[in-house]
Amino acid sequence: MIRFPLIPVLLVVAGFAAATQDRYLMDVFVLTCLYGTMAVAWNLAAGFTGLLSLGHSLFIGIGAYTVAYGVTAHGLSPWVMLPLAVLIAVVCALAIGVLCFRYGLKGYYFGIATLAFSEIAFFLVSAAVWLGRSDGMMLPAGGDPWISLQFRAKWPYGLMILVVLLATLIAGWALLRAKTGYYWRSIRDNEEAAEALGVPIFGFKLFSFALSAGIVAVCGAFYACYVAFVDPRSVLGVELSIQLLVFSIIGGMGLLWGPLLGAAILIPASELLRIWIGASFYGVNIVLYASLLIGLALFLPQGLGALRWRRRVS
Amino acid sequence: MTALLDVDGIGKSFGGLTALRDVAFQVPQGAIMGIIGPNGAGKTTLFNCISGLMKPDAGRVRFGGREIQGLRPHRICRLGLARTFQIVRPFRGMSVLENVKVAAFARHDRGPAAEAHARAVLADLGMAHMAATDAGILGVAELRRLEIARALATDPQVLLLDEMLAGLTATEAAALCDQIRALRDRGLTILLVEHSVPVVSALCDRAVVLNFGEVLTEGPTAAVLADGRVQDAYLGSAAPCPT
Ligand SMILES: Nc1ncnc2c1ncn2[C@@H]1O[C@H](COP(=O)(O)OP(=O)(O)OP(=O)(O)O)[C@@H](O)[C@H]1O
Ligand SMILES: [Mg+2]
Repeated sequence: MIRFPLIPVLLVVAGFAAATQDRYLMDVFVLTCLYGTMAVAWNLAAGFTGLLSLGHSLFIGIGAYTVAYGVTAHGLSPWVMLPLAVLIAVVCALAIGVLCFRYGLKGYYFGIATLAFSEIAFFLVSAAVWLGRSDGMMLPAGGDPWISLQFRAKWPYGLMILVVLLATLIAGWALLRAKTGYYWRSIRDNEEAAEALGVPIFGFKLFSFALSAGIVAVCGAFYACYVAFVDPRSVLGVELSIQLLVFSIIGGMGLLWGPLLGAAILIPASELLRIWIGASFYGVNIVLYASLLIGLALFLPQGLGALRWRRRVS
Repeated sequence: MTALLDVDGIGKSFGGLTALRDVAFQVPQGAIMGIIGPNGAGKTTLFNCISGLMKPDAGRVRFGGREIQGLRPHRICRLGLARTFQIVRPFRGMSVLENVKVAAFARHDRGPAAEAHARAVLADLGMAHMAATDAGILGVAELRRLEIARALATDPQVLLLDEMLAGLTATEAAALCDQIRALRDRGLTILLVEHSVPVVSALCDRAVVLNFGEVLTEGPTAAVLADGRVQDAYLGSAAPCPT
């Protein structure tokens, strides 16, 4: 039932090849893969394990700020900071998970708890002088670009995020078809029944949440290098968490690559609307984008990916 | 007679309400044992305390000589005690086969082995034809059988069945009774909650009567059903019980 996402993988690779000729296209490609990876990772927890996190920006922000801080304050390479960023994010996820799962927070309550943690981080960072407060931090250019990860060209970023995305898809596929995926879905569908059938739900929920957090932390670290600037709004804000949810719902939460599909449609669409309409009638593009979302949600409540998928059932 | 399951002085209350008080009985290896009692007598709560979903406030549960009260449900399941739920709890986002496969993973770590085991269980119960069906669209009779299939796929020694026959037609119920007997003949020990007196007397070797959370009487089914206190407490005026 969980088949290898061959077509999405091929399309993404083809997308990279097509975008190498054009800086602007490559930018759209990078953003699509970046948000696609984060949404796929979010959905491993939310869509497959039932852990509806509304605070994933916390882990993205940890990834971005760890790298930005190491680079600006200590002149360290992002390569050095990356493992640390993932470690901090995973430890935070485990701590939040232990707290929430011990006290039996489920569903929307878990979502609100995670949201609260990310909001706390948002305000703490906005006040922390050593993290640039709400002004943020700029990453300096210079040195060997393969060490500082500050490239003039865009394609190296495209290549890096392509690798992260493919690794996420392959790892997700391997986990979902194995015992882990079955246990996650059983927890999502009915915790008590899962536990009665031998599923150690506490450990598998922690694993799902921590894995998801670790992957988005990698994406946050990448974001810091790519944009060379981090501030609380862009990497810790609740809007970011909500975006992952929107991409996943529109693309289809029942599919590994559904959230990627959502990002691959909505990110280019919002770019196009901005270029075509935003320049002359600012705001109209946002209204159109919102209408597109409402339309998709109304006519495809299972997500776009379900068009094909639903028919296979029964 | 060796007791495979030994329930010893179990107590459980919810706030001011005492759902179970000093409940004690033993289930011999290879028996089909029935638990009867009026609505709200505490039968499901007793199952919850045995299977680990709830922690009893007092008492012990021994399974194969080992104390299991207070263990997490997944540990108790892996020790060899499986249960079904009175209010069915299917994994609605999965097919019938996938539902059973989740349970089979308790004994097989690798996917193909778990799937083969799950298919074997489904074939055994005559459910192979619905393997690919979405669990979300099954009717109540099929969901009950799915509950049993999942529990069996964990390879239990003891099976707890909570009102599996309620709401089934006579034919469906008879088929399920045959299946339960076949399981016992294969060596399973079965503890079941059942409202229908004819079913209990036809199926069970022994019976326990619960009333307001306490054991009213316990013993061979025929003797228990003939007990005057049982007639009063449970059967009321609807006395005649066909066999
Ligand atoms: N989680 C709970 N919280 C509070 N009270 C509960 C809980 N579970 C059961 N009870 C109460 O405990 C008593 C026993 O309930 P239980 O479900 O065990 O009865 P039962 O014998 O299974 O009844 P039925 O034949 O209707 O299934 C009832 O009064 C019920 O309201
Ligand atoms: Mg009950």
